[in-house]
Amino acid sequence: MKLSPRLPALLLAALVVTACAPRTSDNAASDKDEKSGTLRVWLFQEVGNKPKEKVVDSVVAAFEKAHEGTRVDVEYIPVDTRAQRVKAAFNDPKSAPDVMEYGNTDTAGYVKDGGLLDVTEEFGDWGEAKDTDPTARQSVTVDGRLYGAPLYVGVRALYYRTDVFGELGLKVPETMTELAATAREIRAAKPDLYGLVVGGAYTYGAMPFVWANGGELATGKGGSYASTIDSAAARKGIKAYTSLFGDDNCPAAKCAGMGGNDTVTAFAAGKAAMAIGGDFSHTAVEAGKVKGKYAVVPLPGVTPGSIAPAFAGGNNIGVLKGTSHRSLAVELMEQLASKRTQSELFDAMGFLPTFGDVRQQVAAREPFVKPFVRTLGAGTRFVPASPAWSRIDSSLVLPTMFQEVISGRKDVAAASKDAAAKMNDAFGSAG
Amino acid sequence: MNLPRLRVRRPWRLAADASALLTAVAVAFPLYWMVLSAFKPAGEIESSEPRPWTLAPSLDSFRRVFGQQEFGRYFINSLVVACSVVIVSALIAFLAATAVTRFRFRFRTTLLIMFLVAQMVPVEALTIPLFFLMRDFGQLNTLGSLILPHIAFSLPFAIWMLRGFVKAVPEALEEAAYIDGASRARFLWQILFPLVFPGLVATSVFSFISAWNDFLFAKSFIISDTSQSTLPMALLVFYKPDDPDWGGVMAASTVMTIPVLIFFVLVQRRLVSGLGGAVKD
Amino acid sequence: MQSRKAPWLYLAPALVVLGGLLVYPVYQLGLISFFRYTQAQVSGGEPTTFEGFGNYAELLGDDRFWQVLLSTVVFAAACVASTLTVGCALAVLLTRVRALPRLVLMMAALGAWATPAVTGSTVWLLLFDPDFGPVNRVLGLGDHSWTYGRYSAFLLVLLEVVWCSFPFVMVTVYAGIRAVPGEVLEAAALDGASQWRIWRSVLAPMLRPILTVVTIQSVIWDFKVFTQIYVMTNGGGIAGQNLVLNVYAYQQAFASSQYSLGSAIGVVMLLILLAVTLGYLRLLRRQGEEL
Repeated sequence: MKLSPRLPALLLAALVVTACAPRTSDNAASDKDEKSGTLRVWLFQEVGNKPKEKVVDSVVAAFEKAHEGTRVDVEYIPVDTRAQRVKAAFNDPKSAPDVMEYGNTDTAGYVKDGGLLDVTEEFGDWGEAKDTDPTARQSVTVDGRLYGAPLYVGVRALYYRTDVFGELGLKVPETMTELAATAREIRAAKPDLYGLVVGGAYTYGAMPFVWANGGELATGKGGSYASTIDSAAARKGIKAYTSLFGDDNCPAAKCAGMGGNDTVTAFAAGKAAMAIGGDFSHTAVEAGKVKGKYAVVPLPGVTPGSIAPAFAGGNNIGVLKGTSHRSLAVELMEQLASKRTQSELFDAMGFLPTFGDVRQQVAAREPFVKPFVRTLGAGTRFVPASPAWSRIDSSLVLPTMFQEVISGRKDVAAASKDAAAKMNDAFGSAG
Repeated sequence: MNLPRLRVRRPWRLAADASALLTAVAVAFPLYWMVLSAFKPAGEIESSEPRPWTLAPSLDSFRRVFGQQEFGRYFINSLVVACSVVIVSALIAFLAATAVTRFRFRFRTTLLIMFLVAQMVPVEALTIPLFFLMRDFGQLNTLGSLILPHIAFSLPFAIWMLRGFVKAVPEALEEAAYIDGASRARFLWQILFPLVFPGLVATSVFSFISAWNDFLFAKSFIISDTSQSTLPMALLVFYKPDDPDWGGVMAASTVMTIPVLIFFVLVQRRLVSGLGGAVKD
Repeated sequence: MQSRKAPWLYLAPALVVLGGLLVYPVYQLGLISFFRYTQAQVSGGEPTTFEGFGNYAELLGDDRFWQVLLSTVVFAAACVASTLTVGCALAVLLTRVRALPRLVLMMAALGAWATPAVTGSTVWLLLFDPDFGPVNRVLGLGDHSWTYGRYSAFLLVLLEVVWCSFPFVMVTVYAGIRAVPGEVLEAAALDGASQWRIWRSVLAPMLRPILTVVTIQSVIWDFKVFTQIYVMTNGGGIAGQNLVLNVYAYQQAFASSQYSLGSAIGVVMLLILLAVTLGYLRLLRRQGEEL
């Protein structure tokens, strides 16, 4: 018998392609809808988690009381390992929770990964849903379908030290140019302080600079996005942000590696005169050395009196596709994200509610949220609603771009061009 | 001690002694700093005037570590994992090392090279395939999912190191045993095993460390059942990038290092003779 | 003990364990590297598609990859060289000192060895911390940041790697020297040979099998260094300047969910290590060493 020399190769290829494709999970939606049993819930473990646990415990107690034979098992996932946990949960439905909290930038990615349940109908039937503000609603929407209930929104604004400003006789900056000038002035007068503490890995602190200058991360709709981070306007914003790194404000050697939390920590420890922090950072700053010596205003835009568009961050609560308690899980989701819970969570953790009316109420109660509500009112931006965003975010495309510019390895044009190419690559493969 | 008795002149010997002590101090310094920082009271670590001592040692950091939920349980889980890996892989490696040194057979050299190659596999890259394997075995969320892969990863090195040790046992001993009517099993377990034991201890140091320190598998395979979590996972809580609790980190690190250190001190003697024997052909 | 089946019987447990938990996953790894395999495929949201060498083409066409490969090779070589030098020098020193200093140095080294990689990395970071670390204070460097510059960050990691891996070399080589008959060294010393010469022409050749083992082990370990880079440079340093292959693969696979690219990097690493080690073994065999 004579074998063609190519036959073994072909056989091998066939073997590889057909018989032994790599392992995958079957993540089909469960058609079971049991009315009792144990519901597993994963929530994020926050810094200082106790008050959150208290609020959640009371919601859970009420829920268990209302549904006999139902137990709710809440677990708080350390932020550090959550990505792996969630991925693992998608891969092994047996280990997956029924209800979970997730960051709103992950919505599109999780939907694509086949993890989240489409709750469009239930959401429509939910009485409270009509008051959800449009930005928050957008953050649970993918291709017109809803995949969860918004839990809170997070926006960032400018924290500044009232004592330092008073001592140096400075007034609060009204434009981005003034912001930079003020920062340098403070640093010159007080060399042990950062003027405005910034971080090379602080994407959501940097983006307002890009947006305020008219730049965008990407344009497009639905699945097909194209990066515009290398547009002239965006470059102007990148330049504005990266020029803040230097010995005259925030030395690159220290600040290039910082992320958002590092900058807030530095501000709270009294090492910076200004910082870009979120409403959610309020508790941490209050606990720091600068308590009573700071105030918050919206981050100024390019023209006097304008507000730089902020990133509308926040978390949502969703139901996993594989749940075998569909009705119960959806109901629990609604309870956990209800107006009442959100109001209580605000009191406990300072999380800004996603319902317009509730937000007004809490703003009246707690004046510190005013600048954040104003920032929200001035219009916020969101990351591209593409599954590619998770990848762009976690592969550090933007931090790398900022750090390349800060460290002088590339100029703004080259760095932004590379970043745009990487983003387009991600959009392309996700499309 | 059969140390080479060299006639080293006195000043040289003093210099050598001094440099050995100095090196020891330098090598031990990071460990000293770790323990010191664990005992420093809050605020003193984050001081811009770091002092190599503390006047007010405090147990607060340790309290934070031990105050974690189910800390004792994680500790025991870690011990179970590390000990199972050590014992099982030592036994399997002993048998395999005997096979490749006491027998001549086809593929022997190939196998040896394969054991070497197996050590080169980047463990981190295997997490995904192993995840599916563990899922199919129903081992996810159990300590088994941590024990099994670690046995596999520590075996090649253990076999490789044990080889020389088995070889060092004279063939004549084996023949004598058979002449005395000993069965193969008897020779293996009652004669060879005790002789190879120091080598087993030396190699088990490596498997103990890798199993004890692992947090990659723990992070990936223990998904929903926290009661099966291990020590490194509990300590990870302190490695928060946003708010580095140096005191907690250092206390946790101290707690994690001490068992390994005890293990090392216990086996120190055997370790030295074992590593020497393993490579003495 | 010359039966045909016996060796395989003894090998069976090892082969079963390795086959199931190492060979099979490695086979899967190789397989994944030929497919398009991201999180969507893993969780069954999309079908897997065969890509042939597409992932490898993408990898080899990526400048980043070559840059990371180069730094990995240079960094690993530096680590191996430093570890071996320090380890051998201290092993020789151990044979020259009295019992007490020997015990003290041995204990310190075992302590460094026993320290978990995560812990060691963190402690070294704290030692070199620009604000709270004692090193800058002693050296009078002010708040110089060691992790900002590419080379100083690599240097810092190198120090930590040497610190935690020289004990293995030291203890092993020391044990080997002790096994060298005393008369041989005595004779050399009587001939008036210098320390360096004794090492070079008497000890090193006798210790060659040991040195081979520690060299191969160091190459394998240092080429795959992961935890130290990951912890100390926070996942690869400023703009990824301190990435090495293993961390790069991990980032690709887990941060970006590009499992197939990550797998392809893993396979490439495996092949490089294989080539290096087999080349080394062949060299030894040519010089008359037996495996």
